[in-house]
Amino acid sequence: MKKFLKYMSPFAPDQSGACGVFYELGGLIVICDAGGCAGNICGFDEPRWFDKKSAVFSAGLRDMDAIMGRDDKLIEKLSTAYEQLGGNFALIVSTPVPAIIATDLRSLEIMGEKKLGIPCIALDSTGTNYYDSGEEKAWLRLFETFAKESFEKIEKKTAIIGATPIETGFKNADSLKKMSEECGLHNVTIYSMGSTLEDVKKASECEKNIVISPAGLKAANFLKNKFGIPYEISYPFIPKDIVEEAKKYSGKNILIIHSQFAANELRKEIGCIEKIKCATFFLQDRDYSLPGDIKLNGEDDLFESVKNQNFDLIIADSDTLPLLKAAGFDKDFIDYPEFALSGRIFD
Amino acid sequence: MSKAFYQTAKEIIQNGYDSLTAEQVSNKHLIYSSPATLSFNSPGAKGYGVKRAGLAVPESVMLLVSPSCCGRNTSLFKSSPEYKSRFFFQLLDDTDIVTGRHLMKINDACGEILSSLEKRPSAIMICITCVDALLGTDMERICRKVTETHSIPCVACYMYALTREKRLSPMAYVRTSVYSLLEKQKRESKDMNIMGFFSPLNDRSEIYPLLKNAGIENIRELARCKKFEDYKELSKANFNLLLNPEARHAAQDMQKRLNIPFIEMLRLYRIDKIHNQYMLLGNALGINIDDRKYYEEAEKRIADFKNKYGEIRFAVGEILNGDAIEIALMLAKEGFRVECVFATIGELNYRFLKTLSEVSPETKIYSNLSPTMLNYEKDDIDCYIGSDCLYYFPDKPGIEWCEETEPFGYRGVIDLFDALDKVLR
Repeated sequence: MKKFLKYMSPFAPDQSGACGVFYELGGLIVICDAGGCAGNICGFDEPRWFDKKSAVFSAGLRDMDAIMGRDDKLIEKLSTAYEQLGGNFALIVSTPVPAIIATDLRSLEIMGEKKLGIPCIALDSTGTNYYDSGEEKAWLRLFETFAKESFEKIEKKTAIIGATPIETGFKNADSLKKMSEECGLHNVTIYSMGSTLEDVKKASECEKNIVISPAGLKAANFLKNKFGIPYEISYPFIPKDIVEEAKKYSGKNILIIHSQFAANELRKEIGCIEKIKCATFFLQDRDYSLPGDIKLNGEDDLFESVKNQNFDLIIADSDTLPLLKAAGFDKDFIDYPEFALSGRIFD
Repeated sequence: MSKAFYQTAKEIIQNGYDSLTAEQVSNKHLIYSSPATLSFNSPGAKGYGVKRAGLAVPESVMLLVSPSCCGRNTSLFKSSPEYKSRFFFQLLDDTDIVTGRHLMKINDACGEILSSLEKRPSAIMICITCVDALLGTDMERICRKVTETHSIPCVACYMYALTREKRLSPMAYVRTSVYSLLEKQKRESKDMNIMGFFSPLNDRSEIYPLLKNAGIENIRELARCKKFEDYKELSKANFNLLLNPEARHAAQDMQKRLNIPFIEMLRLYRIDKIHNQYMLLGNALGINIDDRKYYEEAEKRIADFKNKYGEIRFAVGEILNGDAIEIALMLAKEGFRVECVFATIGELNYRFLKTLSEVSPETKIYSNLSPTMLNYEKDDIDCYIGSDCLYYFPDKPGIEWCEETEPFGYRGVIDLFDALDKVLR
């Protein structure tokens, strides 16, 4: 059955992805929900939440708010919070409730900007899509809203687009910076992790962007068109021990299940790429796929793929193991945690 | 930047319950999301939410019908042995929501669950969320269809966060759901149930010997039922003892359907009030309850603690097994200083606040949910009680006091001070 999960838990949703992009940038973030979505985002999908304070709120919607609309009440609450706390911008993250009652998000943005006098972004996540869909919209809106001015280029200045804890499995920017340096990327700016809104505003200073997730492609193209910044695809955040272990299987039939650019990078590292298939539950850009790569639409797709193909090794999050075993897979397995599946982090 | 908002107990009582400020009323401001409020925003993240609670029916399984976001945190406990192979998900997409076609899939999904399990479950609990609340889904009808098709009990659990402040909140409703599979049978005069919690009371609580001494032979609790056969025995009870107001609707439902009356008690920490409650229970049952030795033991434990540590200063949070204001009141009455309490004021605990304002008028009452809590600056305390306080005072000694085994009665008080003694030692 499509959309039926027997073995795994639901994956990180779009609202978590949207929130993760803006989390460190000093704005007021309002999850437009009744409470449960904010709890899931903060308590599960945003590992920074336990260590780094951020102004994240639930709108605290109640049944009558949903029935009557009451957008003005939400803006009033937001305005009070802004008076109490300040903030660089306001972000309203939609969830299933506003999606169902067809809340006019554009109107919320206009009302918010008028009342607060700061940029107000309302993102149309629905809770039915995955994190990368929310991140994709968030990355684009982030640069569209704040990267307006053209600054003089700084030689060799490079930035990474697409890094969030959900995408990388790392919650500390320092870990990512260290891994970037090990890949020859020095003094790199990692947007939304260990950087500020000012870095976003000065995005035009970069000579090059590196995109680590298909969710960052639209934003990278926006910056390319607006400021002429070229970009390349790379993924410097695969833990070394996983790469080393995987390399031992070079030449074997291998399936890698992970987000597309991470899986591609690992395939490149292992070598003999014609024997390796990459699969993902999330965005898969055809321009960066090889023939035979698999877009998984649910548990059934993975079950069939594994049942019908004789892989010597599968590299994936261990949350997939019960399903793989049920599909008859009994060969070698390397656990490569994928936060969007299991919520496990590396640091 | 505003400082974290608080009022003293005295100020709140002077203003009156109807004049609580906007910061103290959760639907008048944005809800601040911090680790201290996780249990509010995501009741299932710690302790029991609707999803875990629904599985209190022994040997049952749950089908969560929702967008993926609602089941995301299930990963936290899905892999633990007691929940292994008990959670299933029917995820909704946009078209499902617009057309309602997901409702047509539930019966098949239940069939798939049954065919995938080696052992047939006792029941299927179908959990639905805000989405179906807004769509006005008649889940009872769908459950009946599942029962007809697959010959298995099927019960709806409503995880409607939108209605959390209604008289019948989701956690109150799910308590009714989990008892709804009980069928009427002959009641036994010496049988009773303890209702209110999803985990059992502490084995060492004096309530068990007190009731046994009074002639009760079988004391049952939902959380102690390992098999569905054990669960069915619950309807033999001559009466239910209700220890949590959230289970009142469930008790009323059992009274109506199964003719089982109920008696209500509260979990309290003031030993004089615990004594009063036992006396009232004895009167209601027409039995003599002699709790003197337990009272004296608790009284001595508090005195010993006070002799050892003096008038130490406490912070009390609301994420704990008890009522924050009642525990603060107990501490203040026993001669300790309560610097601050983190609490959401409701009708029930407002009455404790009245007495607290007399005993400790300057105690600060903060609202965890206020956005201004982002700017909270630590109060000067010696020790804390409550899981939320751990977030505010990570460098102070204290106890979370929200273990899954439920404290109750004098034993709860003794264990509380034992736990405090252990961290302060």
